[in-house]
Amino acid sequence: MTIVLLLIPLGLVLVVLAAWALFWAVDSGQYDGDVEAQGLIAVERDEPLPR
Amino acid sequence: MAAIASDTRTAFSIEGMHCSNCATSVERALSHLDGVHAISVNAATGKARVDWDPAKLTLRPIFEAIRKLGFRPVPLAGEAAEAAAAQDRRRALKRIGVAGLGMMQTMMFVYALYASGAHGIDPAIAQYLRIAGMLLTTPVLLYSGMPFYQAAILDLQRRTVGMDVPVAVALTVAFAASVYHTLLGSGEVYYDSVTMFIFLLSLGRFAEMSVRQRSLSASEALTRTLPAEATRVLADGTIEKVPLARIVPGDRLRVARGAAVPVDGQLVTSTASLDESLITGESKPIARTAGDSVPGGAINAGNMIEIACVKPAHQSTLAGIIELLQLAGSEKPRTIAVANRVASWFSFVTLALAAVVAVFWSIFDPQRAMPATLAVLVVTCPCALSLAIPATFAAATAYLARQGLLVVKPDAIERLSRIDSVMLDKTGTLTEGAPVATVMSTTGISPERALAIAAALERGSDHPLAKAFQPFADANVIAVDFHEHPGSGIEGIVQNQRWRLGTREFVYEHASTEEDSLLYLGSPEGGAATLAIRDRVVAEAVNSVHALQQRGLAIIIASGDAPEAVNSVAEALNIPEHYARMTPQDKLKFIEQKQDSGHSVLMVGDGINDAPVLAAATVSCAMTQGAAIAQAEADVLLLNGSLKALAVAIEVAQHARSIVRQNLAWALIYNLVSVPLAAAGLISPWVAALGMSISSLAVVTNATRLAWAPWPKPFQVPA
Repeated sequence: MTIVLLLIPLGLVLVVLAAWALFWAVDSGQYDGDVEAQGLIAVERDEPLPR
Repeated sequence: MAAIASDTRTAFSIEGMHCSNCATSVERALSHLDGVHAISVNAATGKARVDWDPAKLTLRPIFEAIRKLGFRPVPLAGEAAEAAAAQDRRRALKRIGVAGLGMMQTMMFVYALYASGAHGIDPAIAQYLRIAGMLLTTPVLLYSGMPFYQAAILDLQRRTVGMDVPVAVALTVAFAASVYHTLLGSGEVYYDSVTMFIFLLSLGRFAEMSVRQRSLSASEALTRTLPAEATRVLADGTIEKVPLARIVPGDRLRVARGAAVPVDGQLVTSTASLDESLITGESKPIARTAGDSVPGGAINAGNMIEIACVKPAHQSTLAGIIELLQLAGSEKPRTIAVANRVASWFSFVTLALAAVVAVFWSIFDPQRAMPATLAVLVVTCPCALSLAIPATFAAATAYLARQGLLVVKPDAIERLSRIDSVMLDKTGTLTEGAPVATVMSTTGISPERALAIAAALERGSDHPLAKAFQPFADANVIAVDFHEHPGSGIEGIVQNQRWRLGTREFVYEHASTEEDSLLYLGSPEGGAATLAIRDRVVAEAVNSVHALQQRGLAIIIASGDAPEAVNSVAEALNIPEHYARMTPQDKLKFIEQKQDSGHSVLMVGDGINDAPVLAAATVSCAMTQGAAIAQAEADVLLLNGSLKALAVAIEVAQHARSIVRQNLAWALIYNLVSVPLAAAGLISPWVAALGMSISSLAVVTNATRLAWAPWPKPFQVPA
C-alpha cells in the first residue's frame, strides 16, 4: 500500500499541470467563438499551391 | 416611476447578473437616484433600460451605483460588449475546468474511503486520503465556487434570499463538516459532493449563459453587419476610406460585392441586386434600379455599386432597428417579474425546509442529519421559473427578428399566443400600393381616349392618385391651362376642348348626395367617361391570409377606405368580415366590443397615424419600413411589408407558451418528487447535485428548442 503514498501526490501534481494547461488554452483563445470558426479558417486561408 | 418626455433613454448590458434578485437590487439602487424616472432590468438578457433626466444627473452616478453592487455596466453592442462576453465565457470555462479536474480526483480518493467501509483500510491511509481530498476541494471551493458565494453575499446585503443562498449554505456546511472530520481523523467527509455540486452547477450556469449570449446576438449580428468605415468617392473620382460617423448626406459611397451598404442612400449605379434579409427578413436578393432607396445594412449581392448618402449612419434604418431590439431586450415582461418573485420565495422555503430537516434528523437519527440537510439544499431547482421562461421568450424574439418581425415589447410573445382575430386596418397593406385607373363606362368617346385625356390632366397634379393614370399618357394628348380644385378635381384644355376630371358634383356641376369613390371625366358638352382607381391585391397576401385563416384565426378588414376598395380587396382575399369608411373612433369601439365578447385581437396598421387604435388591441402590429421604424408605436413590427411572417409569429408564440408550460410542469413534478426523497434521507448529496443539474439542463435545453426548430418549413407560405 505504500505506493499510494507516492501516487496521491503525483495525482495532485498532475491535476495542477492539467489546470495550468487548461488556463493556457483558454487564455490563448482556443475556446473562443463557435466551433465552426476553426473549420472556416481552413477554407478562408486557401492559398494557391506552388507550381 | 414614470418616464418624462424630456428624459433620455439609455440601454446597456450589466455583467455579472445571473438571477432575478440581482435585477431587483439594481432597480432598487437606481430608484434612489434623483433624476432617474424609469428603470427596467432583465436578468435573463442581462440588459437594463433607464430613463433619466440629463438636467439632474449624468450617466456616471448611474453606472457607479451599479458598480457598487458588484456588477459591471457595459455598452450593449460593439467591441466592448463582445470583449466582455468573451471574458465572461473564458472565466466560466476555467472555473468549470478546475471544478471538473478537482471532482474527478476527489472522487477517486473519497471512493476509496467508501470502499474501505466494507473491506477495511489502514487508518493512516484513510487519513491520508481525507487530507488529499481536502487539498483538492479547497481550491475548487475558493475558485470555482466563488461566484456562488459572491452572489449569496450580495443577496444577503440586500436582505433578500436568492437562488445562491441555499447553494452557498450547502457548500459551506458540507465543506466545514468534512474539514472538521478530517482534522478529527474520523467521520464522514463530503468532498466529492462539494466538488461535484460546484462542477454541475457551474456547467448549468454556463449553458444558461451561452443561451443568453446567443439570444442577444440578434441585435449584435445587425450591429456587426455595418462596416466600421466606408469607401467615399470624391469629386475627382478618387476614393478614400472614412469612418462611418464622418459620412454626411450627399456623400457618394462605393459598396463592393458582398459588402454591406453602410448608410441609407439612393442608388446611383443603374442596377443593383441587394440582400435585405437582415432588415426585412426577405431571403431573396431584391433588384434595384438607379434612384431607388437603399437601406443601410443591405448586403450587395451583385457587382460593385455606388450610392448617394441620404441620412447619417446613426439615423439609418438599421440603426433604428438595432435601437428597438436593444430596448426590447432591456424590458422585463410581467410574467417574468412574477416568476422572479416566486423563485425568490422558493429559495427562502428551501432554507426553512433544510433547517426543519436538520432539526428532525438530529433528534431521531443524527447520522442522517447532515446528508439529508445537504440533499434538501442541493436538490431543489428553481431555474424553471427564474431562467427558463425568459430564455424561451428571448429565443422566440431572436428567431422572429430573423424572419423580419421585430418584437418591440417582450410581453407581446405571451399575448400573441392568445390571438384569435386579426384585424387589418388598411387595404393598402394587402395591395401592391400602385393603383391603376380603369374605365367603367364611356359616352361618345373611346376608353383609350378617355384615359389619355385623364392622364394629360393628371400630369399637372401632385395628387397621389395621379400616378394611376401615368401608364396611359399619350405624347400627342397634352393639357394646357390646368387648374386644380382641391377636394373636387382638376380641369384643363386638351386639344382646344375644356375637360374636367373629378367628383360627380364637380364634373356635372350639380349637387349629389350619392356617395361613391368613382371619378368622372366630362366637358361642357356633358359627361364622357366614368373611371375607377383599382389597386391590385398582392399575390403573397392571398396565401398569407389563407395561412392565417387555416390556423383558425378570424380575419377582419376594418378600413377607412371607400367601400369599393374594401369590397374588392375582401373579395380577392376571401375575407367575409369587412367594414369600410371606419373612423379611428369606430375602429377603437369595434376592438373594444370584440374584446368585451372574449376575443383577443391582433391589429395590423401603419403604426404612426393609428397609434391610439393600435394601443387598444391585444397585440398591435405595425407594417412599417425605412426610417418610420423608429417612430412606430406597436408591440411588434413587420419590417418586410408582408403578412407572411405573422402566421409564423403566432405559431412560434403558441409554441413558446407550451414550452413555458412544459418547463413549469417539469419543475413542479421534479421538486414534488425530489424534495420529499431528500428530506427523508433517501438520496445522497451527490445524487441530489446530479438531479438538480440534470433538471436545470433539461429545462434550459427545452427553452432553447425554439431557436433550433426548423420553423420555416411547416409554416412556409408559398410566395
